[in-house]
Amino acid sequence: MKKNIPLAIVIILGFIFVGWTFIPAKWMQDDFYTAFIEFTKTMSPFAVVLGIYSLVSMHYSRIRMKAPKWGYSFVTIIGLVVTATVGFVYGTQSGTPAQWIFRNMMMPISATMFSLLAFYMATAAYKSFRARSVEATVLLVAAIIIMLGQVPLGMAISKTWPINILDISQWIMDVPNLASKRGILLGVGLGSVATSLKILLGIERTYLGGGD
Amino acid sequence: MNFIKNLQGLDRRYVFVFIAVAIIMPLIFPFNSVTYTTTPVENLYQLIDSYSPYVRADDLNEDGIISEDEVDAFKQDRAIFMDFYHDASTMPELFPMEVAVMRHCIYRKVPFFTFTIMEIAAPIIEEALSVVTDEIQKTGRVIERGKDYINIGYKPAALYLPILLGMGDDIAAAVETDTDGNRIENLPMYRDTAIRNYTQMNLVYETSGSDQGLSWMVYARSRFGVNVGVGLTAVMAADQYPYLQSGQCAGMTAGLKGAAEYENLVDMFAMNNITFSKGQLDNPTEKMLANLDITKDTVPSKFKMARLGMNAQSVAHILIIIFILLGNIGYFLEKKKLNKNL
Repeated sequence: MKKNIPLAIVIILGFIFVGWTFIPAKWMQDDFYTAFIEFTKTMSPFAVVLGIYSLVSMHYSRIRMKAPKWGYSFVTIIGLVVTATVGFVYGTQSGTPAQWIFRNMMMPISATMFSLLAFYMATAAYKSFRARSVEATVLLVAAIIIMLGQVPLGMAISKTWPINILDISQWIMDVPNLASKRGILLGVGLGSVATSLKILLGIERTYLGGGD
Repeated sequence: MNFIKNLQGLDRRYVFVFIAVAIIMPLIFPFNSVTYTTTPVENLYQLIDSYSPYVRADDLNEDGIISEDEVDAFKQDRAIFMDFYHDASTMPELFPMEVAVMRHCIYRKVPFFTFTIMEIAAPIIEEALSVVTDEIQKTGRVIERGKDYINIGYKPAALYLPILLGMGDDIAAAVETDTDGNRIENLPMYRDTAIRNYTQMNLVYETSGSDQGLSWMVYARSRFGVNVGVGLTAVMAADQYPYLQSGQCAGMTAGLKGAAEYENLVDMFAMNNITFSKGQLDNPTEKMLANLDITKDTVPSKFKMARLGMNAQSVAHILIIIFILLGNIGYFLEKKKLNKNL
């Protein structure tokens, strides 16, 4: 029962949406679809409530049990309460406290985390990017050309060279990169079609989770 | 031997310090560098510019004189749609291109919608709008919310597909309200114009650090023929090349470089109210070049973020290349020494 009902919902709705894609009739394109949109709109707030409940209950239990690094859970809950309160009370437009929190806290924190990538990339490139084989050498040369072609300083340096670095960099993106990307996309596309069919026919059931 | 070892085994903390200095110094001491524009960026710029009432009035006017009434009349039936799909972490790369596109739209009087299904992107839209409108309003031009642009703001992700498809019929019915709770049909940009669906709003510009733009190509482009342009972080750009080549993606701004290219085009053409032409891009006039000097205050720093950032990126790239070369030199010297000892 626990598996059959969700399975039936997925299969029935899956076939309905296949029908929606291919049947141009008004009852399918307008009537059904309008009802579906209303249903989706009604469903969304429940997902928000569920998300907040899950977040709060998890962090609250960590604080209660004084789990390792429980202080972070405390910060998370305070953050949730403060941000939600100022958002509800003052709105989220420009000039409001919510926007101030975003501009002065969220933006610098997130950008700092992301910028660490530059440091790790630099050390990783230095420590492990070695021309150990023909393939690695091709990759290394391509990487250097692309890196030079992407920045004005690289372009300026390569101006004295007999070859135009931007042209080579663009060729690498347009030809070898494009060919490999297209191959991957075709593979992924065919795989998606096969998996979708297996789900629609009830053969693929791993998405239902394990156990009974 | 020590020298070879040092070449390969430099402590990572030294690498961090070198990278930090390479990034910080060009930001403190900006310098001018040439930004070469690429075809995907030029295509996106031209497409947005083609919606400008200035361009359309210019095309139809044989006398070459365009009155503001004519411009306003042409403003009634074209708009672009901007979809923000990223959080604050990718802002350093994506925010400058969003600001540049918005600035282009405002200078050239192209009405635009802003929208997101990520609640964390809603403040980014507000931030971009405030950066662009505050700065341009200092010049005396009035920009009205709901008239020059509509900020739809955040809509739940569950409504993404219904909205995406619903806008093929009527944007007001699909999204219902803007971020302030006003009904779209009551806003001047909708009420007083012919802008209704993808027929008028024929370009979606989607910014993200993922391949989210694909949804627009798969659903909106295949069903309604809407043009799709994307703004991506540099690491995601390679994924878009198949769609660029096939024409499913009309244009692309990739990473800080793409943003810098777009900033340049806005400063050269839109700011001078000139229609883009490849000839003028290759042989710019002094007036067009005047806005490109990033060491001067001709253009506010908010509008040259990408170009300032490109200086830092330039130095960092060169430094990383040097590190890679040093590491490889050390590797080969060590290998040679080992072979000799065998």
